[in-house]
Amino acid sequence: MEQDTKKKRSQVDDIDRSMYDFIKDESGQEHLEAGLTPEIVREISEKKDEPEWMLEKRLKALDIYNGFPIPDWGPSIAGLDMDNIVTYVKPETDQQASWEDVPEDIKDTFDRLGIPEAERSYLAGVGAQYDSELVYHSMQDSAAQMGIVYSGIEEALHDEKWEGIIHDHFMTLIPPTDHKFAALHGAVWSGGSFVYVPKGVKLDYPLQSYFRLNARGAGQFEHTLIIVEDDADLHFIEGCSAPKYNVANLHAGAVELFIGKNAHLRYSTIENWSKNMYNLNTKRAICDEGGDIEWISGSFGSHVGYLYPMSVLNGRKARSSFNGITFAGAGQNLDTGCKVVLNAPQTSASVETKSISKDGGVSTFRSSVVATPKAKDSAATVSCASLMLDDRSRSDTIPAMDIRCKSVSVGHEATIGRIGDDKVFYLMSRGMSEEEARTMIVNGFADPVSKELPLEYAVEMNNLIKLEMEGAIG
Amino acid sequence: MGTKTLERVSAMPAPTWHSLKMNDATVEIDEALAPARDIAIETDAELGGADAFDAALDAAQADWDAEFGDAPVLANYEDEQANRLGGLALSEYQKGVDAAEASKSLRAMYEQGMGEEAARWLAEMAGERTSLNVAASKACSASVLVRGIDASVNTAALDVIVDDGATLELAITVDSPVPGYGITGTTLRIFAGKNAHVTVRRVQTLDDSWTDLDDMGLFLSNGATIEIFQTVLGAGHTYTGLAGDLRGKGSTANVTTHYLGHGEQELDFNYVLRHHGRKTTCNLYANGVLAGESSKVLRGTIDLIRGCKGAQGQETDNVLLVDEAVKNKTVPTILCNEDDVAGNHGATIGHIREEQLFYLASRGLSREDAEGMFVSATLEDAWLNAANEDAKQAIVRLGNTIVEDFEEAYL
Repeated sequence: MEQDTKKKRSQVDDIDRSMYDFIKDESGQEHLEAGLTPEIVREISEKKDEPEWMLEKRLKALDIYNGFPIPDWGPSIAGLDMDNIVTYVKPETDQQASWEDVPEDIKDTFDRLGIPEAERSYLAGVGAQYDSELVYHSMQDSAAQMGIVYSGIEEALHDEKWEGIIHDHFMTLIPPTDHKFAALHGAVWSGGSFVYVPKGVKLDYPLQSYFRLNARGAGQFEHTLIIVEDDADLHFIEGCSAPKYNVANLHAGAVELFIGKNAHLRYSTIENWSKNMYNLNTKRAICDEGGDIEWISGSFGSHVGYLYPMSVLNGRKARSSFNGITFAGAGQNLDTGCKVVLNAPQTSASVETKSISKDGGVSTFRSSVVATPKAKDSAATVSCASLMLDDRSRSDTIPAMDIRCKSVSVGHEATIGRIGDDKVFYLMSRGMSEEEARTMIVNGFADPVSKELPLEYAVEMNNLIKLEMEGAIG
Repeated sequence: MGTKTLERVSAMPAPTWHSLKMNDATVEIDEALAPARDIAIETDAELGGADAFDAALDAAQADWDAEFGDAPVLANYEDEQANRLGGLALSEYQKGVDAAEASKSLRAMYEQGMGEEAARWLAEMAGERTSLNVAASKACSASVLVRGIDASVNTAALDVIVDDGATLELAITVDSPVPGYGITGTTLRIFAGKNAHVTVRRVQTLDDSWTDLDDMGLFLSNGATIEIFQTVLGAGHTYTGLAGDLRGKGSTANVTTHYLGHGEQELDFNYVLRHHGRKTTCNLYANGVLAGESSKVLRGTIDLIRGCKGAQGQETDNVLLVDEAVKNKTVPTILCNEDDVAGNHGATIGHIREEQLFYLASRGLSREDAEGMFVSATLEDAWLNAANEDAKQAIVRLGNTIVEDFEEAYL
C-alpha cells in the first residue's frame, strides 16, 4: 500500500490537454524550407511585398543573430536545432474579417479555443494568428469610430498613413542587438498586430490577439506593436497555444508597447504553449511622463521558457506593475520574471510574482531593477514567492538590483517553501480530499494574479491550475 | 613587469544577465609586487602544516560514506539525453550542482568563496599554509595580523581545524599602518568538527592605495556552528568571498558583514552557502553605508540541496546610500531543490527617510550632519565590537583619516 502511495506521488500522468492539444492537417499550407539563411529571409520579405527598409532591417538582424552566442545562464536550448525549424508556414487563407470566410478547419480550431464566443461576449476586437499569418482580424465599429486602429501589422505597413509610424517604432524598443532571439525575430518576423489608440481615447473593453501554432517543427515570430497616445487607456489580452509534437517548436515573438503621457495600458497574457515549445519571447514597454504599464502574466506551458517583460519608465511619475505566475511541471524549465528600469524622477514600480514547481519541473524567477542617476525620489518593491509541491522539483530565485541614485528606495523580499501540512489538515478536517485542499491552496496562492484578469480568463487560469494539480499529491 | 588578471573571481553559482555586470569580479594584479610573507600569528592552538585540513576532510568523507555512501543520489542528475525533448533542459549551473552531488565526493564539492584560481594565487603568495589545530573539547583563541607592506603582496594561507566539541575564537586584523601601495589578503579553510564552534572576526582598515582579498571556505560537521563577522572599512578595492558546505545535520553558519564605502572605493562580496545536511541553518546579514563615489556588489547565494529537509536559509542586505554618486548592486539568490525548507531573502536599499531627516533637523542637525553621522557611526560600531587591541587601533587610525577628530569626538 505504502509502495502504491509512493508510486502515485512520484508518477503523475500527463494531464488531459485535449482542449488545446489537437492537430489540424497541414496539407495545402505553404512551408518555406527549414533553417535560416539570407535566401529564406529575402523570400519571407518578398512574399509580404515589404518596403526595402524592412528587408534591410531583416538582413541586418540575421547578421546580428549569427554573431550572437547562445545564452549560457539560462535553461539549455540544446534541443532546439534552428536547421530544423521552419520559420514560415502560410495557412491556406488570407486574412478575413468574418469568421464565416475562414477555412473550416482553422475556424474549428479557434471555435474550440472559444475565441469567437469571447469576441461576441466581451471583446472590442480580435486578431487570430494561425502559424505565420493572421487569418482573422476584426474590431467593433464603436471602437473604430473612436479612432482606434487594430489591424494586422503587415496590413498597417502597407498603409501609407501608418508606414512611417511603424518605421519609427518597429524594433526600436527591442533592437536586434538586444539578444540572440530578438535578432532572430528581427530576421524572420511574420504576422502580429498593430494597435493605435489616439490621444484621450479610453476603450472600455479589451482587445485580444490569439496565437495558434499548428505546424509541426515550426516557429512563430509575430510582432505586436501598440501605441497608446497621451491620456488614453487600453487593455490588451494575448493568448497562445499549440498542439504537442515530439519535435521542438519555437516561439520568438516580440511585443513593443509605447505609452504616452498619463496613458495607461494593461497587457494580460495567458501563455499555454504545448510542452515541446521553446518560448523565447521578448516584451517591452516604455512609459512617458505619468504613463502606466500593468503586466499580468500567466506562464503554464512550454518545454523551455525565457520570458522577462521589461518596463522602461522614462518620464516623471511613470509607473509599472508586474503580476506574474509561473507553473512548471514535468519536463519544463521555465525561466521567467521581469525587468524594470527607473529612468526618471518619481517613478515607481511594483513586482509581485508567484511560482509553482511540481513533478520535477524547474521554475526560475529572474529579475532586474535598475535605477539610473536620473531616478530621483523613485521607488521599487519586488516580492516573489515560490511554492514547491514535491522534493523532485526545483525553484530558483535570482533577483538583481542595480541602484545608482541615493534617493531611490528599493525593497525586496522573497520566500521559498512548501504547502504547510497544517493548512492541508485544516481543509481536510472541513471535508475536502487532500487533492482538493492542495488545489484550493494553490489557487489561493495564485489569487493575486487571477484577480487581475477578466473573469473569463481568471476561470481559464484556475482551470489550468486544476489541470496541473490533478494527481499532484505529494 | 605587467599585470596579472584573475578572471571569474567570486563568481555566483547561478549567473544572471551578463549585461548587468554582476556575475563575477575581475582582479588586476601588478606583477611588480613581491610576496612579503610577513604575518604575525599569536595563538594557544597547536600549529601545523597543510595536511591537517585534507586529513580532516578525508575523515569526514569516511564518516559520510558510512552513513550515506550507498544512498541513491537524490539530485536530478541526468546524462546528455536529458537535453532532448521529454527530458529536463537544465541550465549549466543546474547540471553542475547535480554532477557535483553525483560525485559523492566532499572534496569535489568543497569550495572557496573567491574561486579556485584566486585561492590558489593567494596561497602561492603566502608561501606555505599554516594550520591552527584545536583538539577535541578544547577552547583556544588566535589573532592574526596582516599588514600592508609597500610594493608587496602580503597574504596568509590559514587552515583552521577545530575538532569535535572544541571552540576557537579567531581574530584577523588587516591594516596599513604606514603609507604604501600593494595587496593584502587571507585565504582560510575552516573545518568545524561535530558540535564544534568557530568564531572568526576579520577587520580590514586599509588605506585607499591597497587592495584586499578575503577568501574563505567552510566545512561544517553535525551540530557545528561557524560565526563569521566581517568588517570592511577601507581599501581602494576589496574582494570578499565566502563559501560554506553545511554538510552536518543541525549545523549553523552565521555570516555578518558590516561595510563602509567612501571615496572611490570598490567593494565586492560573494557568499555561497550550500545546505546539504538536514535541519541546517544559515543567516547571511549584511549592513552597510555607501558614501562618496563608492560602489558595491553583493552576491549572496543560499543553495538548498535536495535532501536538506528542515533547512532554513535567510539573507538580508540593508544598504544606506549617502551620496548621489554611489552605486549599489545586490543579487540575493536562493536555489532550491528541496520542498521541506524555508528560504527567505530581503534587501532594503535607499537613503535616510524624509521623516527621519525631519526629526534630526528638529534637533538641530542638518542633512549633511545626519549623513555624516552614518559614516562615523559605522566606524564607532566597528570599534565597539572589535575583537582585540590590534583591531581597535587599526579602526582608530583609519577613522581619523575619514572623519575629523574621530577618536576625540566619538570614542
